[in-house]
Amino acid sequence: MEEMPARPDLSTLDVPMDAWTQPFWDGAAQGKLLLPRCGKCRHFRWPPGPFCPHCQSQQTEWLAPGTARIYSFTVVRARAGADQPPMHVPALVEFPEADGVRLLAAIVDTPLSAIRIGAALNLEWSQAINAMVPVFSVAAPATI
Amino acid sequence: MMQRPAIVGIGATPYYFRGTSAPQTLYELIGKASLAAVADAGLKITDIDGLAFYASGFEPGLITEMLGIPEINFASTVAAQGGGSAGVLDLAAMAIETGRAKAVLCIGACQQGGRRYGLSLANIALTPDGVWSRAAGLAGPGQALALVARRHMHVYGTRREAFAEVVLSSRQSASTRPGALRRTPLTLDAYMAEPMLADPLCRFDFCLETDGALAFVVTSAERARDLAQRPVTIAASAQAGSRDWGRAFFWFNMPDAVFTSAGAEPVARRLYAQAGIDPKDVDVALLYDHFSPLVILQLEDYGFCARGEGGPFVESGAIRLDGSIPVNPHGGHLSEAYVIGMTHIREAVEQLRGVAVNQIEGAEFALVSGGPAPIPMSGAILSNQL
Repeated sequence: MEEMPARPDLSTLDVPMDAWTQPFWDGAAQGKLLLPRCGKCRHFRWPPGPFCPHCQSQQTEWLAPGTARIYSFTVVRARAGADQPPMHVPALVEFPEADGVRLLAAIVDTPLSAIRIGAALNLEWSQAINAMVPVFSVAAPATI
Repeated sequence: MMQRPAIVGIGATPYYFRGTSAPQTLYELIGKASLAAVADAGLKITDIDGLAFYASGFEPGLITEMLGIPEINFASTVAAQGGGSAGVLDLAAMAIETGRAKAVLCIGACQQGGRRYGLSLANIALTPDGVWSRAAGLAGPGQALALVARRHMHVYGTRREAFAEVVLSSRQSASTRPGALRRTPLTLDAYMAEPMLADPLCRFDFCLETDGALAFVVTSAERARDLAQRPVTIAASAQAGSRDWGRAFFWFNMPDAVFTSAGAEPVARRLYAQAGIDPKDVDVALLYDHFSPLVILQLEDYGFCARGEGGPFVESGAIRLDGSIPVNPHGGHLSEAYVIGMTHIREAVEQLRGVAVNQIEGAEFALVSGGPAPIPMSGAILSNQL
């Protein structure tokens, strides 16, 4: 059985929210990944914030971004004896239908050999104290 | 008439492994480096009338009280963190050029207690738009920049052998320096055998964590002629950055082409224009090497090779002491010490005085870069051609 990355331990994570990130977490609570897009010039932006960097508008709409894939990733291993979580895989996730957004998220439930740049992803969720946090697994990885 | 600024004094404490400089305090280290810099210049501490700080800054009142500096006319701290290290020279240059101050003491220092820089992403207070690193399990800048390194490998075919060459080259240089903290030469086999910490980076790709302080005295080139050392002029200095790079690895939403860079192109453009030279005129490059792949990306940003060709470029031996652009002949952050860019400024000055341990023969122009980090990033071109 090939090594699988651990889920980050989010049991102590109390996600801070403000008016501009709240819609993201509201969506997450309902199992929906929503990303902010300018209501005027239709550019996606990340992280959620009060202005569109392209046209400075404050109109914001929240959309489901469609497919997700790996833009880059790292495999983090703790040194022997180090006070760090076990092997885990932080990744940058991109969304072909939401150009301009790269989301940092953990890759889980996937054999290491299936984790590659460009791999299509499925959305999963991990429980933090006050929020559901998106994590991803590689869609239909080759069986070992 | 505008005064051209020159570095006339350098001072440093010994370099200590993280946490081993006690019982000296941070301000004691700063004081020792400052007094050494002033003495090196042939000046007295009472000649200092300006202070320029790097990173989070220090207390001007405390330093003037402690050292007996009678009066200051200028005190400023660079706005950036790791990206701003060469920015102290920019601040000092502005103070001298405008006549605001006559002799500026530039100070950079670090002393790590319980909180490690290497885990700084895990330690910072979470904010609503900065919670993502924590959620993804990224604990430090090295893990974050591993994402950039892997993408550069994917897009351009850069190999781990290139990262290794940056480290081996640095270690080779440090091997001749008594004050360096990692002096044992490293082989490619040993590098490749080292377990990954944040794939594609192993322990050797991460810089040291060091305690220490460095200080530099900047005055006018005119006054410099009467002082103790061969003057080293600040031919160009910049603190700059583009929105496309922004908060760097605290953001990660750069446009594609910028993601696989070190974010230094705006700084490079300004420096070359201001100094009136090209990359081929640079004799020695002191590139901020917190993580080995970022040296390769800076070589591309600063125009020493084409975009994407940094890997083969370093593998060709180009950055060795006898290469086309020697990089970090002092061993850099990877092998000598990590005092957040300050050791690079010291080495640039020693190279241009002609007294460096690993002297590049006939060096006339030295490039110093600040770290690939949130903007403004910084850099300077120093010269001994008055």
